[in-house]
Amino acid sequence: MLSLVPTFAWLEALGWTTALRESPYGYPLIETSHVASIVAFAGLVFMMDLRLVNLAFTSAPLAQFQRRLFPWQMASFVPSTATGILLFCVDPLRYYRNVLFLAKLVFLALAGLNALAFHLKTYRRAEGWDEDPEIIATARLAGAASLLLWSLTIVSSRLIPNNWFK
Amino acid sequence: MKTKIFLVLLAAGVLCAVQPARAHHAFAAEYDPAKPVTLNGIVTRMEWANPHGWIYMDTKEPNGAVKHWMIETAAPSQLSRHGLKKADFTDGMTAVVKGYQGKTDPGLANGRTLVLKDGRSFYIGSVGGPNDGAEPQ
Amino acid sequence: MLLPFFEWCDGLAISQAYRDSTYLFPLTQALHLLAVTVFVGAIVIGDLRMLGWGPVGQSRASIARSAQRILLWAGLAVLVTGIPQFTTNALTYHRSWLFVLKMYLLAAALLFTVTVRHRVAVADEGRLPSWVPNAVGAVSLTLWIGVTISGRLITYYG
Repeated sequence: MLSLVPTFAWLEALGWTTALRESPYGYPLIETSHVASIVAFAGLVFMMDLRLVNLAFTSAPLAQFQRRLFPWQMASFVPSTATGILLFCVDPLRYYRNVLFLAKLVFLALAGLNALAFHLKTYRRAEGWDEDPEIIATARLAGAASLLLWSLTIVSSRLIPNNWFK
Repeated sequence: MKTKIFLVLLAAGVLCAVQPARAHHAFAAEYDPAKPVTLNGIVTRMEWANPHGWIYMDTKEPNGAVKHWMIETAAPSQLSRHGLKKADFTDGMTAVVKGYQGKTDPGLANGRTLVLKDGRSFYIGSVGGPNDGAEPQ
Repeated sequence: MLLPFFEWCDGLAISQAYRDSTYLFPLTQALHLLAVTVFVGAIVIGDLRMLGWGPVGQSRASIARSAQRILLWAGLAVLVTGIPQFTTNALTYHRSWLFVLKMYLLAAALLFTVTVRHRVAVADEGRLPSWVPNAVGAVSLTLWIGVTISGRLITYYG
């Protein structure tokens, strides 16, 4: 199995990653954007999940609620991912060796897969899948899983700086 | 269901009410405010980096052995604000660092004050450290 | 400014008690972020609606009322996890201009949210000219984003 360490060492030594790592303005800007866009993204995902599990916004038609929120979720997901990748590139080896960062990636992947599975299931039915009992059951499950997985992603991310479990 | 959620939130809240937390990360999660250290040694390397800088320092133990330290500093924006520059560091230079030792890692420290060979003193602590007066008012 | 209050916070038994904690208070930080996320989500969905975007299947008032319950619970969690963060490091924050800015923005955002924003959000559709909810949504987003950003920047410029 090829070791990623040399690649990460090379990445860390690049001119632009070094400049970013040392910058008094660039890095704070990127980190702040990362947090702000994640809060917006995950916040809207949580709102949709609360609808899916029928705890809030209960009079909103399910399909339409999801469809109207989706572009805003994507609009905040893109900058959060882009800034996340940049942050990683600034110090790849430190993150690679951090168990909590790896846990975050796992939860993130699972959350993404959960979202994808749900989208694929409801994709074919443009309207009216609100009334389909099978969809409603799937929605409940997907919503609950989403609440859990994104929460775990956020919690593990927040714990990364603590340098535990070296 | 709503009651359950409320109770979970309340429990979490009460639990959290007896814990502290910090703007960036918790000083007390890693460093021991009851273990202040004054390190007089050689700077082998300085990583001028976000979100924290790292000073690598070798000190001499009383028995002559060399101890390797990894000292956390504030971000470049903060260090510059207090007058320090990346160019103030050269590998192999002597310096004195005052800080607090790590809770589980004895070779780790949170730096508060740096004194260079020319006598200049700088505050290098991160926001949220102990209120020990090291930070210039 | 208000130094005695900050000193009192710093000296609280609770502040002193948890300067020793290793695991529990980073967990507080994590739960605080989670609570903030839910809170901001409820704000953003309401603001989007006021700007004419986002879900339109329910009335603006209906969205606002649902969001309000979420805001109350999430807000409580934010407060309960946030206050200990403040009292432990009160004297450090006292010296931080960004922290002071954040507190002013937070006060403004809270005041705006519970007064103007609330009235506009629950008003019946069509009763207000559309520029009013648009403006309120925009101001709300700006204030809350301001709170988030100033909070994050404390580490770097505070």
